[in-house]
Amino acid sequence: MQPPGTPPARTPTDAAVALLARIAQGDREAFGRFYDAFAGLALGLIRRILRDPGASEEVLQEVFWQIWLEAGRYDSRRGSPEAWVVMRAKARAIDRLRAIRRREKTFVAPVDEAVTRSSEAPGENPGVAAETKGLVRSALDGLPEAQRRVVELAFFEGLTQSEIASRLGEPLGTVKTRARLGLERLRSLLAGKVKAEP
Amino acid sequence: MNRDEIAELAAGYALGALDAEDRARFEALLAAGDAEATTALRNLEGAVTGLAAETTETPPPAVKAALMARIDAQGRSREAVVRTLSSVKPDRSRRSMWTLVLSGAMAAGIAAIAVGLVVSAAYDRRLNHLAQEAAALKQEAERQQSVVALLRDPATQVVALSGLAPAPGAKARMLWHATAGGLLVAQGLPPVPEGKAYELWAIAGKGAPVPAGVFTVDVKGVGSLRVAPIQAAGAVDTFAVTLEPAAGVPAPTGAMYLAGKL
Repeated sequence: MQPPGTPPARTPTDAAVALLARIAQGDREAFGRFYDAFAGLALGLIRRILRDPGASEEVLQEVFWQIWLEAGRYDSRRGSPEAWVVMRAKARAIDRLRAIRRREKTFVAPVDEAVTRSSEAPGENPGVAAETKGLVRSALDGLPEAQRRVVELAFFEGLTQSEIASRLGEPLGTVKTRARLGLERLRSLLAGKVKAEP
Repeated sequence: MNRDEIAELAAGYALGALDAEDRARFEALLAAGDAEATTALRNLEGAVTGLAAETTETPPPAVKAALMARIDAQGRSREAVVRTLSSVKPDRSRRSMWTLVLSGAMAAGIAAIAVGLVVSAAYDRRLNHLAQEAAALKQEAERQQSVVALLRDPATQVVALSGLAPAPGAKARMLWHATAGGLLVAQGLPPVPEGKAYELWAIAGKGAPVPAGVFTVDVKGVGSLRVAPIQAAGAVDTFAVTLEPAAGVPAPTGAMYLAGKL
């Protein structure tokens, strides 16, 4: 039992918050430790979105460079440092994914078409689909299809809830509810509390 | 706002999928320290980070090395700026400051390229632009600096040059320093014909005129010329301006427009 007045026990989150405060002061060593703690998490997510290892490493570097520059903007009320890193990695990776798709649409695709005249239609997001459905055994697989779809579109495609609603042709309220139910179930699945949907 | 609504906002926020209006609402709750919103977010963001953590992948060491090099390069450029700002001396402040600030910034840019970080066309363009800007600033700073130095030096003399027959309304001032050279500013000179230029001559006593540079004038008839120190037999005491071929000639051939004596 802690006597009253002592600070709370230091958790990994507290330690990461303290590192961010030091990074904001320009502490190089703190940055190195923060990187060691979270770069693997960020890179895994970035690769899941982008697939291309070279592009993923570039994005990883950009994410952490921005963290070096903007550590002072971290606000613990808005979430844990871990979630902050995940959101930044996700946002950057999706920016890059969209840029790649734009380029493919305007340059690569017409060239490919001219060369191969392939009749194969491109999938919606072959990379994500392959990774999340195939190679990676994900807790997402334990969600009912309708919830999984909403979480995937939000997390791996970077769509907002209203964009998801119009993509799926569902009411916005339904999308919001599915996102909540999906995350709640995902949390339980990740904690091993419930069995996946058959 | 009821509990379900807050939980839905928290889920959308954790997924980074809220529309702008909803995000502003939820962030306002968080900023106000709303306990329900904070708890809901803490519960659900774990699902998102857990999802991301499924694929954790060790990055190659080169990424961290590149980041650290980038940080060091940034630090060096910042140090250069700080050093410059703290060592400003009244006499040379402007010039040394800009030169060092810009060279510090360029050093950072060059270091970044050296470690192979950001090699993009945009970056190259920026660097180019910076180099051009640095060169232009340096040139301008040097020009002004030399004028200020001339004006400040007690040994600097001012020579008035008057217009002669071809341009009686013309006049000029020569700031002259025996060892530092000088600056000529002329006005009221006629436009320079194609292939021609005004040439300044420095004369020491009864010696031959020594060429001291060529210049042209703008539409208002104003021109200036920075003059290097003159190697002459004795002390220069007379200045004259003649119209000559644009490249300049070793001895005057054309009509004299301006002349003045110390």
